[in-house]
Amino acid sequence: MWPQQFDYQRADSVESALAAIGDNGKFIAGGHSLLPAMKLRLSTPDQLVDISRIDALRGITNGNGNLSIGGAATHAEIAASAAVGAACPALAQACGMVGDQAVRNFGTLGGNIAHADPASDPPTALVACGATIHIQGVDGSRSVSAQDFFVDLFETDLQDGELITSISLPDCSDCQCAYVKLPHPASRYAIVGVAVCLKMDGDTCAQADVAVGGATVKAVKCAGAAAALVGSSLDDAALSAAAAALSDDIGDWLTGDVAYPEAYRSAMAGVFLKRAISAASG
Amino acid sequence: MSAEAGSVIGESIKRIDARGKVTGETRYPGDIDIEGQLWMRIKFSERAHARVVAVDVAAAEALPGVVRVFTSLDVPVNEYGLVIKDQPVLCGPGGDKAGTDVVRCYMDMVAVAVAETDTIAKQAIALIQVHYEDLPAVFDAEEAMLASAPQLHPDCADNQVARYRIRRGDMAAGWRAADVVVEGMYETTWQEHAYLQPEAGLGYIDEANRVTVVVAGQWTHEDQEQIYHALDLPPGQVRVIYPAIGGAFGGREDMSVQIVLALAAWKLRRPVKIQWNREESIRYHHKRHPIKVRAKWGATGEGLLTAMECEVIGDAGAYNYTSNKVLGNAHLTVSGAYEVENIHIDTYAVYTNNIPSGAFRGFGAPQALLAAEGQMNRLAAALNMDPLEIRLKNSIREGSIGSVGTPFPPGVSMPQVFAACGAESWWRQGEAGWQLQAPVAPSDSSKRRGRGLAGGFKNVGFSFGFPEHCWAGIELQGSAEIERVILYHAGADVGQGAHTVLMQMAADALGVPFERVQLVASDTATSGSSGSASASRLSFMSGNAIRGAAELALRKWQDEERPAKADFMYHPPETTPFDPQTGYAEPNFAYGYVAEAVEVEVDIETGQVQLLEVVCANDVGKVINRQQLEGQIEGAIVQAQGYALMEYLVSRDGRILNPYLSTYLIPTSLDVPPRVKSVVLEYPDPIGPWGARGMAEMPFLPLAPAIAAAIYAATGVWIDSQPFTAQKVVAALRAAGIGEV
Repeated sequence: MWPQQFDYQRADSVESALAAIGDNGKFIAGGHSLLPAMKLRLSTPDQLVDISRIDALRGITNGNGNLSIGGAATHAEIAASAAVGAACPALAQACGMVGDQAVRNFGTLGGNIAHADPASDPPTALVACGATIHIQGVDGSRSVSAQDFFVDLFETDLQDGELITSISLPDCSDCQCAYVKLPHPASRYAIVGVAVCLKMDGDTCAQADVAVGGATVKAVKCAGAAAALVGSSLDDAALSAAAAALSDDIGDWLTGDVAYPEAYRSAMAGVFLKRAISAASG
Repeated sequence: MSAEAGSVIGESIKRIDARGKVTGETRYPGDIDIEGQLWMRIKFSERAHARVVAVDVAAAEALPGVVRVFTSLDVPVNEYGLVIKDQPVLCGPGGDKAGTDVVRCYMDMVAVAVAETDTIAKQAIALIQVHYEDLPAVFDAEEAMLASAPQLHPDCADNQVARYRIRRGDMAAGWRAADVVVEGMYETTWQEHAYLQPEAGLGYIDEANRVTVVVAGQWTHEDQEQIYHALDLPPGQVRVIYPAIGGAFGGREDMSVQIVLALAAWKLRRPVKIQWNREESIRYHHKRHPIKVRAKWGATGEGLLTAMECEVIGDAGAYNYTSNKVLGNAHLTVSGAYEVENIHIDTYAVYTNNIPSGAFRGFGAPQALLAAEGQMNRLAAALNMDPLEIRLKNSIREGSIGSVGTPFPPGVSMPQVFAACGAESWWRQGEAGWQLQAPVAPSDSSKRRGRGLAGGFKNVGFSFGFPEHCWAGIELQGSAEIERVILYHAGADVGQGAHTVLMQMAADALGVPFERVQLVASDTATSGSSGSASASRLSFMSGNAIRGAAELALRKWQDEERPAKADFMYHPPETTPFDPQTGYAEPNFAYGYVAEAVEVEVDIETGQVQLLEVVCANDVGKVINRQQLEGQIEGAIVQAQGYALMEYLVSRDGRILNPYLSTYLIPTSLDVPPRVKSVVLEYPDPIGPWGARGMAEMPFLPLAPAIAAAIYAATGVWIDSQPFTAQKVVAALRAAGIGEV
């Protein structure tokens, strides 16, 4: 449980961070995903570049229908942010469920998604709510949708030496969104986490986005379940149809363990879809 | 300063070990070091069942810093076992006894390496090459009973290490008299003790040239006996000392590191230390027995039992440990705390290539009562009777003849315990008798609440003809008055507070203030055998031994002896084993009685069961230390809650897949029930000291069946397979068409 030896330096700008990272370096902000991986020697960087005090990575802004969250914003800041609460409650809820208060005070959204723990909460909310991940490397910047960003178990689209500068979300003030989960009794990580983002036209669901995490190796966007909800009044029959479609949506990505096998997680995804819709509508 | 005689009995005297444990000053075996000590690591079996053809230690012994590698060839008498000596100390070739070259499970030891540092010892273990010849293995107890199954032990052709019968009454008449018959199949799986302190120990040669082992256990003198037997030494050449013990629950009744530490210290004449981590502790000590019960019970329309038929099959694992005794107790309790004239029971303890099963709080009764109380709750449902009413109709009472054809020992309080549990929880007595009040329905439509009841009994002290005994010694110092009392006793304080309680009893028996009593405990060099900290026996047995010693010492004091010293060996009334054909026996000399009522909330969509409240009525005979007693009740309930709802040890082909507390889940502060009400009853046991009975296992026994009954009350679905995990509950609910989204 001791990491391999490494050097440490603190960067004061994105440019200096990118210049300093080297061939086998890692950016560190809160360290709550990276340090455990280093202690288990799953990650063995020779140098850490601390980006936690770069002002350009820290802000949360909401303007022109676009919510922007700095990569080094902490879970606690996001959970407490009035701007996030108004524009995307699902993300505020997910960030409020990460670890405990001490973890949320240090852990950052950029660090969380960069490591793509399948049982973590924020990725699921980001995928459902149509987030875009903004990335900068020495050769320039690029943007990728959250759905494409999460590739597989602990695997993302982020390339070596690239830094997540911000995460943006469409302002969803006219949507109803929510994130709910079944927490593991020991770790409180998600056995199943479900996020939904709904646009209602009267009693009819005009648009729906659904994502599942925890039960799957990555946060998975669930088009089948969403299609089953659109056009319905979110009645019991539609919820049952969506739950059934959901198990197909996540079928290829399911994961499980001895205590919570795949079949149970799959069934619970349907239950928590219903609860997410109820939370979003409530 | 002075206290009236008797005033400390029942008092919540502060524990003598409280300060040290709270501040961290107390030393557990892992905390004790001797300068110049060597370190030991163990090479465990890498097969579930195989013949060890050769053990190549050359590379390991060539590693700098390695002092010695021990194998089967180094063990003078290569066998041990608490009841049956059926396990090799180190499995390997070269022994005189057939079968000592066979590993029968993954916790068998093959070799131990002793080195100057723990790191080197660990490296040495990796260099030991073991050559195996695989043998066919069996991992299911019922399969192991088949003629085609592989035989594990040379002297046990059918793998049945114990087999018991009860044949009483006229079964045909019993079934004829029945208006209703209920049948059930109940299954339980392993449970891990999960005590705070993983196994550790230190072996050395003491000033009297005794090989000495400092370790955590439950019975110093039994550890001593198993060590001197294997080392072929005279008893006086071996000494066992228990420092602070971090929990036991039956999991330290059998050997772990004791014999190999003694072997290495004796041969090397240097101190040797070993310390296991949590994973090793879970992998390499025994577990609670998986037991399968098939039960068929009949009753009249009025709810009176007419006939009972049960088959009980327990997975002993690779070695007996205490399996024959555990299944004996399951045999005795699978008929519940009820009278029935016609009864037919078959019980088996069966060897398999799984991890050995052994002692664990309740000793077979929790598994047996899951079946018995499940049957009683099914009968109540089938007859539309109140579950308390039907129990009171059939409950054993003073003078009742048990399933084994003999009366229960005097002091039966089962009906009073059932009634107290009902009255203190949710039952009201009306014209129609006792009636359970239904809980308030939760507003959330996915939640259902229910209440359930179960009860039972447990023996106090060792059963079935064991020569039960307990020693205590007392020394009175002073001149005109007794200024100081030294109590000598071997009983283990495994964390239950026994040592404080022993001193309270000594103070009362001698009529001196508690502060004047000192205890010299848990060292074979200073005490006779006080027996094990198990079978809810230590307060009962020790209290009688202390009273005997106190009486003799006071007599000497009156005769002007200074100091006045006396010791006493207490022997309770004799017991007898089961008759092999009929089961006729006088199995025990004392019992404790318990009943529990619970309220649960079931999430019918997720299958999660939340335990909201437990009311435990426990007849303890007489309270000695109320705070410790309530601690035992609450601790047992939490441990039983884990057993009922959470703890699921997964073993595939004999290998444990979740030997970590991150994947083998036990209750934490967020899981425990918000409310536990201890209803402490004091119906004296006629032969208990101050009337006390044992009590520490009893609150564990009925919790799982009470929760099963509450789940049924909430949902209409029976869950008969322990643990009642969310996925099992969901599966049962969905099969009944409940909770689908």
